[in-house]
Amino acid sequence: MIAEYGQLALTFALALSVLLAFVPLYGSFSGNQRALLQAKPLAIGLFLFCLLAKLALIHAFLTSDFSVINVATNSSSILPWYYQITASFGSHEGSMVLWILMLSGWTAAVSLFSKGLPLLMQGRILGVLGLINLGFIAFSLFMSNPFARSLPFYPVEGMDLNPLLQDFGMIIHPPLLYMGYVGFAVSFAFAIAALIGGKFDSTWARWARPWTLAAWLFLTLGIMLGSWWAYYELGWGGWWFWDPVENASFLPWLVGTALLHSLAVTEKRGTFKSWTVLLALGAFSLSLVGAFLVRSGVLVSVHSFASDPDRGIFLLVFLLLVIGGSLALYASRMNSVRSQARYQLFSREVMLWGNNVFLLTATLVVFLGTLFPLFHKELGLGSISIGEPFFNQMFYYLTIPFALLLGLGPWVRWKQQQVKPLLGPLSLIAVASLVLALGTMAAMQSIQANLALMGLLLGAWVGISALYELYQRMSQFGSVTQGAFKLQASHYGMTIAHIGFAVLVVGVVMTKTYSVERDVRMQVNDSISLAGYQFTLLEVYPLKGANFGGEAAEIAVHNSKGQLITQLHAEKRLYTIQRMVMTEAAVHGRLSRDLYVSLGEALPGDAWAVRLYVKPFVRWIWLGGLLMALGAFVALLDKRYRRKIIPAAPAKATELANA
Amino acid sequence: MRKLLFYVPLALFLTLVLFLLSGLFSDPMERESATTNKALPAFSLPDLMNPAQQWQPGQLQGETFLLNVWGTWCPTCNAELSYMTELKQQGVKIVGLYYLLPVDPLLGERFDLAELQADVNNKLQQHGNPYQFNILDAQRSLALDLGVSGAPETFIIDSNGIVRAHHIGDINPQVWRNKLAPLYQQWRAQDGAMP
Repeated sequence: MIAEYGQLALTFALALSVLLAFVPLYGSFSGNQRALLQAKPLAIGLFLFCLLAKLALIHAFLTSDFSVINVATNSSSILPWYYQITASFGSHEGSMVLWILMLSGWTAAVSLFSKGLPLLMQGRILGVLGLINLGFIAFSLFMSNPFARSLPFYPVEGMDLNPLLQDFGMIIHPPLLYMGYVGFAVSFAFAIAALIGGKFDSTWARWARPWTLAAWLFLTLGIMLGSWWAYYELGWGGWWFWDPVENASFLPWLVGTALLHSLAVTEKRGTFKSWTVLLALGAFSLSLVGAFLVRSGVLVSVHSFASDPDRGIFLLVFLLLVIGGSLALYASRMNSVRSQARYQLFSREVMLWGNNVFLLTATLVVFLGTLFPLFHKELGLGSISIGEPFFNQMFYYLTIPFALLLGLGPWVRWKQQQVKPLLGPLSLIAVASLVLALGTMAAMQSIQANLALMGLLLGAWVGISALYELYQRMSQFGSVTQGAFKLQASHYGMTIAHIGFAVLVVGVVMTKTYSVERDVRMQVNDSISLAGYQFTLLEVYPLKGANFGGEAAEIAVHNSKGQLITQLHAEKRLYTIQRMVMTEAAVHGRLSRDLYVSLGEALPGDAWAVRLYVKPFVRWIWLGGLLMALGAFVALLDKRYRRKIIPAAPAKATELANA
Repeated sequence: MRKLLFYVPLALFLTLVLFLLSGLFSDPMERESATTNKALPAFSLPDLMNPAQQWQPGQLQGETFLLNVWGTWCPTCNAELSYMTELKQQGVKIVGLYYLLPVDPLLGERFDLAELQADVNNKLQQHGNPYQFNILDAQRSLALDLGVSGAPETFIIDSNGIVRAHHIGDINPQVWRNKLAPLYQQWRAQDGAMP
């Protein structure tokens, strides 16, 4: 019965989204104040009904109601309760409910936290969000109903959750990722509202900034967690695979990052107007395209949900309406916009323009690399695949100028910057980076011109520049301690995020250059040495879990002096219902290196295939991602985002009259 | 001119939609094999059980057959043995191409033919033996020439030694009925005809 209430709640949500999509927008065009005022209660009601639907779905999973098809195919009665909750968004149907919950949540949040916005803008933004909600709720209800029953015949036991997803990372990775994807819907709605109104002054950018930051924060965390999860769960020590679905999450991130920077220009200088609007449309559009790629089955990926052409058609039509519609609106409105601001070649405007150029080139590379096989095949040219080497090489060439620019950018003033005053600090930073990079390599006893040297130089350049610039900024307030309090939170946020990028670059190049791995055959008491560590297989014993069996291995690791560093516990699990074998890698992490062991097949003669890795600095990759997310969080604390933006009341009235 | 520029994103997006639409109706797993409709690459490889016997493409001509790439180390290959044995009983000729895993050079392990033969015999007794004979591809050279990406994979080779189909993945009743049997039947019917 609860499942039916869930479906009913989703149906009510659909009705509310229809109202939200049309009533406030009608109000904005007719100047009907009462219609505009409906937006907020509708948005909140929409969220509450989506929440009810989600709770009903979770209830069905927790009570193992196998007459609900979604529960029967994705859960089981022996699954631990927290994974039963995970299973409620592990399938296509369930994940759509999570998606809708997040979307309606953002919508309600906009309605609650936009008191400072003119009523007209509120109505338009919430109306656009209502339209997007409408599309996804209809998709869920009509194309992939999560509450569908299989009565009268239903299984007595479920098929269990895919073992890959039975992991802590999986509990929080999808919600964070979806928060990010869907969060860009808010920037999108702001941009559309600005397009409808035809006003592109800096105000819309100021309003859109905190929302874009929040969405970007979630997306960053989501991607980082996915990478971390893949690293320890898939058992082969990789952290990014350029898989189409990973790329689908990376695309909105890249455009979102460009958007964050471009919004700054539009807000502060009132220029880059049409470009910023396009990026705001692009970030969410790419989220939608990503959702389509994952759910329609046009690309081969480990992440794909079971595909169904009907769903694909629905989503494609939705894409066509939302993205096509917004781009058409963009094209018709934008040709009258002119930027008035003037700036010199060496100015922050141009620096941020460069940032956008590189981020967009990266977007293009990932986009083409992901979809080129599809284009190639549909043009009748046969099958091809594009793999890691292509992406790695392109990103190598893109990162060098990008990082150089990133170290320089924050030093440069708006409008115009004299070269001379910067020469001193910049040469100091350059020398310091050279010393730091070479020093690190000397400490590792490997000074050579390789990828690692390049990465360390760039990382040091960005990191030192960010810190030194922060110091300089603080000193401008008289004393550094005084400056530390006076400096805006957003400036700290920027510095932290930029240092995060530096840390990420260092992590990537060090791992790429200095990782060592071996696939070995080990019997109990065998000892293998790798990169100065001695791995000894102590014992292998049978394993018994709630819904899995298998083997576990204990491996001792000693350093070159013979001291015990750690004892690693690697598992190979056989999930009994799905008959799926999973490796649970054992990782011993330090900031400077990870020791990573995964247990493979049993070999003849009481031996085991074992995979050993030593991965220097791999943790820096996720640390960098965390710092970027932290930077966004700190920037969000900036006072100016909580300051009320109150346009004069007469202005509101004229705007209404003009609309 | 400047006005038109703002329509570029829309035009690009609409082009993308066209591709996505046609992509919806084709199977991304399906791919043309580079070796299809070409003669078997030249090789001279020993028989797995009787290494004195060398196999060359010419000796395999005269009858349409399945060339099945497999290894005892591959669980899916072991799983398809019993169904392929049924096919053999229905008169389908199946030749095995034994895919030897590379040995870790660091471990100093040597390849031991007798041990491998015992292992293979053991597996075939356990699951059934669908093979007329097995070709040992110790250096994986033929597998490389055929564009094998893993095991199990199966090729249909016609009576003139031309590769006619390349199936990636296991053979099970469904795959056989829906995909391979029609092709096999088609080329089997033309056995003996000149190319």
